Amino acid sequence: MNVALRQWLNRIFTMAAILAVAMIVTALVAILLPMMWRGAGAVVFGGTVEFRRMQLEQFNRGDRAALAAQVEATNQVRARAYEILDRFVSGIDTTALQTRVRQIHREFTLQMNNRDLPPQTLASSRETSKQVRDQLLAALETTDKAVALAALDSVDAHATDGTLKDTAASNYFDVARQYRQILIRMDPAYRGEYAVALGEVQEAVKRLFGPRPGDRLPAVVMDQYGATRWDQAGQQLDRLLWAEKWESPGDGQPVRKVRISRADQFAGTEMAELFPYVYKNLRAMLLPERTFYWQFFTDDNISGHYFGGVGPEIIGTLLVTLLAIAFALPTGVVAAAYLVECASDNLLTRVLRTCVNTLAGVPSIVFGLFGLAFFVIYLLPRLGLPEGSSILAGALTLALLVLPVVIRASEEAIRTVPRAYKEASLALGASRFRCFVTVTLPAAMPGILTGLILSMSRAAGETAPILFTAGVAMGPIPTSLAQPTRTLAYGSYDMAVGDKMAALAPHNQYGIVMTLVGLVLVLNLVAIVVRARVSRRLRGQ
Amino acid sequence: MNDERIPNMLSLEEEQLAEATLAGIGETPVNQALPPLQDGAFQHEQVAMTPIIRSEKFCLYYGAKAGVRDITMDIYPRSVTAIIGPSGCGKSTFLRGINRMNDLIPGVRTQGTLAVNGVDAYDRRINLVNLRQQVGMVFQRPNPFPKSIYDNIAYGPRLQGIRGGNDLDEIVENCLRHAAIWDEVKDTLRKSALALSGGQQQRLCIARALATRPQVLLMDEPCSALDPIATAKIEELITSLKNEYTIVIVTHNMQQAARVSDRAAFFCLGNLIEYDLTRVIFTKPVHKQTEDYVTGRFG
Repeated sequence: MNVALRQWLNRIFTMAAILAVAMIVTALVAILLPMMWRGAGAVVFGGTVEFRRMQLEQFNRGDRAALAAQVEATNQVRARAYEILDRFVSGIDTTALQTRVRQIHREFTLQMNNRDLPPQTLASSRETSKQVRDQLLAALETTDKAVALAALDSVDAHATDGTLKDTAASNYFDVARQYRQILIRMDPAYRGEYAVALGEVQEAVKRLFGPRPGDRLPAVVMDQYGATRWDQAGQQLDRLLWAEKWESPGDGQPVRKVRISRADQFAGTEMAELFPYVYKNLRAMLLPERTFYWQFFTDDNISGHYFGGVGPEIIGTLLVTLLAIAFALPTGVVAAAYLVECASDNLLTRVLRTCVNTLAGVPSIVFGLFGLAFFVIYLLPRLGLPEGSSILAGALTLALLVLPVVIRASEEAIRTVPRAYKEASLALGASRFRCFVTVTLPAAMPGILTGLILSMSRAAGETAPILFTAGVAMGPIPTSLAQPTRTLAYGSYDMAVGDKMAALAPHNQYGIVMTLVGLVLVLNLVAIVVRARVSRRLRGQ
Repeated sequence: MNDERIPNMLSLEEEQLAEATLAGIGETPVNQALPPLQDGAFQHEQVAMTPIIRSEKFCLYYGAKAGVRDITMDIYPRSVTAIIGPSGCGKSTFLRGINRMNDLIPGVRTQGTLAVNGVDAYDRRINLVNLRQQVGMVFQRPNPFPKSIYDNIAYGPRLQGIRGGNDLDEIVENCLRHAAIWDEVKDTLRKSALALSGGQQQRLCIARALATRPQVLLMDEPCSALDPIATAKIEELITSLKNEYTIVIVTHNMQQAARVSDRAAFFCLGNLIEYDLTRVIFTKPVHKQTEDYVTGRFG
């Protein structure tokens, strides 16, 4: 071959190799870094006064006196916002006024009955009251400003009416005056629109600040607190300040979402004040502080991972994974030793090897179903353990799942032990068993540990085999191996599909994933360090 | 058993004795009229004359292919016996047949007898572990375990159940001294054996083989992976070891065979062509083939 061509081929090969490595590194960085970054958000974030209140009330953690002062300070700032909201609500929502009007009529009737008036007078005054009531109700119900004003005018015309004077009915005119003032600032034509927008605003305010002081405490812990995180507060503020609308730009065009400022939406009403006020004073209303919530790794969760941490999940994952390894590693190594050292190459061992390889490719959900049928329903109850999923069943299922990996890696490792080691050992009079234990196994250890690392990562990350055999979404921390447990992988799955909690608390979903990846990394790191030490010893350094 | 031997027997005397005994071997077939072998311990006076390894019509087959055929030869104690011959002639096969290392290869079967200390090594009833402890082996490439120097030497004794620290220390030191490597490694006993040079590793392997107190030491081209200086040291070691051990060495190096061995056997195509005193093999071989080989015209 031409020298120049050969050099070029060399260069191209080197470039391809560099490119491949770069792609692997990029992929790793692109996958791991964002995950770690967003997961870190579950631990380090701006915690608001709501977070500190939650920590104190739910986990009994923090300074009670200092918190009380902070809550007091924020309540003072928040009070103004509630006031604006209340004033507007009375205008937009005439139900209260309507109820009041009906009540006035009832009070008036009662009053008249007690006065012992002649039946005719009584009937006529009641008729008048009824008339005024209906006119007022019409004014409150209509969406046409002119109609409403006309109705109010006709109500006011009765003000001089003798039968109504100095009775409960005079209250009609107070209501009319009040509503007339509201109408000056607000066109009832937009009432329907305001009602929807008001609901959204009220919801956003509730998500920001939690239930109002004096309200009944919601039953769900999740609803008892406002925005516990400053980033969450930002999102809720966005929902407060901007409305989303679907707009059709024209015929045949797809509808599109547009953002409308709530300040514009409520322009001219009392509500318009609320938005700049909240925007300017949000910090004073929530008092965010940089929080390092390391207890995320030890706390139990509340309201399905809306609050709290992943402590029980970490323990469960470790238990299930390490137990699975404890089952799979000795079994796998012994099986590999048999396949390499003892079994001759015949049909049976070939079939065995094929089985092992096939087992490695079986989908994990199949293992999960097998575990359910065999361990959970058949085997463990017959051994006297309670029926139902348990850590033991999960670990056994995972052990089966990773067994092919362990066998393959160990087989390869045992096979590549130099023959010279075995010969030396046997020539010194070692039996085959002693030779295997004292020479072959130590020399094969790095390879076996590689299998261990692979299978540990797999066991820790699997969800499907756990699904039916060991996993629960909630429940007490297990006290024995016969109880089910929560695990990180299962928790992440449950957050995503169970009650859509992943959408409400994405930081916790990322936190779980980060913890899982971190846990696997730590487990692997330990194994890698051990392997490095073993190989260094084997190399004679 | 080592302790029972007379440690200071002069090598000169032994050689003369051996020569006297073997004076007629070239002419008379070795497998005739031998006295019956005794089991168990040898009398030292007899050791010099009685073969320690007796091979009688020994054949070894790899499946259908014969590795060695009809080998009949006696190997005498406290001497160096060299096995020479072209590649693939069955030297190593025969050597590994003595401590049954060929068992590791599937499909191996044997015929005839190969007796060590009067006990057929291929008898079903023998204890393979005992056999291999009696017959140590040094391989072509140095193959120390990836353990410390101390653990390498102690491996054999530990298999025999020797656990005591002092006993082991003593054995390790003795073996290393015997293998002439003690001075080089006495300060680094706990370091990995793999850190030693090739020549040192091979001497360590010899020391390791000595630690099981064998009577016979099989060496399969022990110097082929070493440089001339390391080779010289090993040869020196072999010469000093033959006072106490029976050494069978396979070598490709004719000069080496001439330098270190007392007797030499020439193998060709799985057959034993000629077996005699080294001096005879290299100066007045009976067979034409042997002469061609040792003079370098063939092989």
